[in-house]
Amino acid sequence: MKLVLNILKWIVLGFFLFVAIYPLIWLLLASFKSSNLELQQNPFGFPDQWMFINYYNAMVKAKLPSLFMNSIFVALVAVSLNLVVASMTAFVISREDFKGKKIIFTVIIAGILLPIISFMVPYFTIIQKLRIYDTLLGLIIVYSTINIPISVFLLTSFMESIPVELEEAATIDGANFAQRFTKVIIPLSQTGLATAGTFCFIYAWNEFIMALLLTSSESSRTLQLGIRFFTSQFVTDYTAMYAAIVITIIPSIVIYFFFHNRIISGLTAGAVKG
Amino acid sequence: MKNNNIKMILLFLVPVAFLYTCFFIYPLGFVLSTSLVKWNGISSMKFVGIDNYKKLLTDKTFLLSIKNNIIWALSGGFIQIPLATLVALILARKPRGWKMLRTIYFLPNIISAVAIAMMWKAIYNPMYGFLNAFLEIFGIEGHNWLGEIGTALPSIIAQTVLYIGYFMIIILAATTTIPKSFYEAADIDGCSILQQEWYITLPMIRGILVTAMTLAMAYGMRHFEATFLMTNGGPAHSTSVMGLILYNKMDAFRLGEANATGTILIFLGTVVIVLIRKVLSRGDAGADSVQ
Amino acid sequence: MKKSIFLVLALSLVMAGSLFSGGQQDEVEEVTLKWPCIWVGEDSKAAAVAALVDQFNADNAGKITIEIEAQPDYDGYRQKIRTSLTAGIVPDIFTVNHGPSSMEFYESDLVMDFTDELAKGWEKDFNEGTISQATMKGMIKSLPYEVAITPVWYNMDLLKKAGVSDYPKTYADFMDTAAKLKAAGIIPTSQMTGGSNAWTSMLWYSHFLASIGGPDVYEKPFESDAYVKAAEVLLAMYSDGNTSIDAIGGDAGVSGGHFLAAESAMFINGPWYIGRVRGDAPEVYAATEVGPAPAAGKNKGAQIGFLQTNFMAAANADNPAKAAAAVKFIKWMTEAENVAEISKQAGSLFAIKYDSSTISDPLQQKFIEASNNASFTIPHLASVVAADVVSEFGQALGSMALGESTPEEFVEMLKKVNNQ
Repeated sequence: MKLVLNILKWIVLGFFLFVAIYPLIWLLLASFKSSNLELQQNPFGFPDQWMFINYYNAMVKAKLPSLFMNSIFVALVAVSLNLVVASMTAFVISREDFKGKKIIFTVIIAGILLPIISFMVPYFTIIQKLRIYDTLLGLIIVYSTINIPISVFLLTSFMESIPVELEEAATIDGANFAQRFTKVIIPLSQTGLATAGTFCFIYAWNEFIMALLLTSSESSRTLQLGIRFFTSQFVTDYTAMYAAIVITIIPSIVIYFFFHNRIISGLTAGAVKG
Repeated sequence: MKNNNIKMILLFLVPVAFLYTCFFIYPLGFVLSTSLVKWNGISSMKFVGIDNYKKLLTDKTFLLSIKNNIIWALSGGFIQIPLATLVALILARKPRGWKMLRTIYFLPNIISAVAIAMMWKAIYNPMYGFLNAFLEIFGIEGHNWLGEIGTALPSIIAQTVLYIGYFMIIILAATTTIPKSFYEAADIDGCSILQQEWYITLPMIRGILVTAMTLAMAYGMRHFEATFLMTNGGPAHSTSVMGLILYNKMDAFRLGEANATGTILIFLGTVVIVLIRKVLSRGDAGADSVQ
Repeated sequence: MKKSIFLVLALSLVMAGSLFSGGQQDEVEEVTLKWPCIWVGEDSKAAAVAALVDQFNADNAGKITIEIEAQPDYDGYRQKIRTSLTAGIVPDIFTVNHGPSSMEFYESDLVMDFTDELAKGWEKDFNEGTISQATMKGMIKSLPYEVAITPVWYNMDLLKKAGVSDYPKTYADFMDTAAKLKAAGIIPTSQMTGGSNAWTSMLWYSHFLASIGGPDVYEKPFESDAYVKAAEVLLAMYSDGNTSIDAIGGDAGVSGGHFLAAESAMFINGPWYIGRVRGDAPEVYAATEVGPAPAAGKNKGAQIGFLQTNFMAAANADNPAKAAAAVKFIKWMTEAENVAEISKQAGSLFAIKYDSSTISDPLQQKFIEASNNASFTIPHLASVVAADVVSEFGQALGSMALGESTPEEFVEMLKKVNNQ
């Protein structure tokens, strides 16, 4: 019986491993193939010839470096803004007591469940009226705000678990309200901040719909939007298109390679605390 | 002490109040109120009461979209989460290489929905794609996966539901809070692994499971990106979802109807979430209280 | 750690601020006009258009600068323009596919009315009838620019390979030809139900409508039985392997791709595609003949021709310098010589009178011939119905092609959306 379970166990793990990895490998191999015909005749094997030119074409035509810089910039600033606002809010809700606290918290948390997609028309209108249409700043504000509910949620439950004694000690030492925040709570919330920041970063990095809606020119285009555009450029040449998709996946994989421990432990800690 | 701090408290709440009002409260009100008008975005709004809703709720395509969203929600809650739980439970026992497996399972979640959708579109390509080539080896006939009514929706759902990384990690994390002593006691009592999982693990991570299911179902109700990118609702509207209807109405300058769609989306999403929690929580602590 | 966070944030906000202010223009002397342009990248007009813009900028250095914002995704561009209009923003210069949906633009005060400018003699530069096509409710808020005919493209090499000497002229001929093509392993027609408008198939349908319903077929859209009959013919195109298996759900890349790869024998598209075929598939280019579709009804030799792209401009009522600059630029783009240059390089045809004798491209000449030889010309279906019907077409077609709906039901679906 134990053997059967063991085998089943490895089948399950193997299956999901295959699902997670193989499509990427297949895509990678396909991107080096020379033509649609080869895709048909040689779907699984290594390419007859490694057509690096597919990648050169994809990079040059798609102007990837600037797209990459845009995405990085938007994601980093959005995360910073989001964490600053959310941590201030979480601090007040978790460490202070005041009338209406529960209502405010519930209202903010409810935002997690609101489908942002319903807000396409008003978002567009607001961004236009604020005159930040087609700017990276517009995306930054939208991305950081959309993630406020979940960041507040994570940070509040995180901060709630910090012992009151530490704050009281600081107060005795003469710390005022703001100092309690910056010198006590924030340093102790690093893991929570890392988790919330991770969520926000991944969201901003991968986001597509709002970027499509709120930007138009190349100078404010993000990486994900870029994928959509160059897959319509390479309409008939599938191998070049695959190269383009691989190129856009690479930054995510590289970032993941360096930060996966931090990301996973952040998620894990967040899940345990929450 | 509380009163003195009121000024600082309010100050700290100003940024969130401003941003949240602008981007959540105002849009919500805007969407709800303009769902009662006929408006093309340029000329003035004309009040039409519940006409937009009547029109939507009698439209075959819209009703089909609602049905599809429900299918998405159920797939998320009752296929994706159980699969994620299964893998989490296996990894919780820390088999060889579990850390690496965990890292690999989460990898697709880091990659954008756009890239994943394009990749799977390539896999499903009837002439050059991986899936048909793979099936050919076994002599199984290939299909136009995204172009046939019976296979289109399952195909798009599959490439979401099989990526279990995100939920798996959260569930796995929850299992670490279960004291080892429980399992040790069970071992001594002669309980099999399956019994241990069923009677110890699952009840103890119930809270997280309910949260995960709620999230997965909420995502299902608002699904949009993959469908937009892979089939645009086709063939013959068979993969259409409410988000897509909203987008198309906005595109066609029918903003009153678009916002009515948005309102229905919000409403149904809320109903699903409340229902799930009611049915599954049984009075247990919800997601917003710490154990 | 907190210090560096705040530092990063402050620095980012400063940088972001500079980004934000980058979009504003220098209003004092130099006028900058932004043009979100679809003729970029892989589009066959890209090089010629870029050269003309550079020339204009050089000629008007210090006074007017035209800034092209690349929009290589046609569908994304279309959506962007319409959403912009919703929020009261109109680009300085832009282009539209002229049709009933242009009415929204015409009704907006933000779009420039060219009536007065045209009356000053500019009107004479345009071909007969094109200005009146661009007139809606007495306003002329768009200028006809690119026109198109969309004949059927026949790959004569593939037909010969299948043992057919000439392209099919009637429906019966077509069935015969298709059988021979399939026997030789060739896909008879390129079709598509995807993209935003099922373009290729929509054009095939329009051809059938012309042949069955005659020149007045659009008088009562979806009412006359020509629509059902044409749907039956279109259904036949999707049956028995008369098109590729990826046509359902396929987009322009699929239908065009098969033709460019010499896999399908019959395709439909406009003259803008000539440059593409010439560059990407020279053998196919050399083997292509264009002509009417196989006559599905009693009318033979009909062609589909229409205003493809019109220029529009922001009214800029509060900034006369910008308004004047826009008019100057569009006049530059509509100058006969410049139009001739674009036409030569890309293969596109225009609503402006220009000397086409300089056109040396044989395929382009065939286009002009096909246009001249047409017994009558009507526009395509998508240019005479509203946007929702256009997007419903692909869905309804997919339904019919998959056997879920009959041709009557197909027409009913479109009629319903058209009448809402």
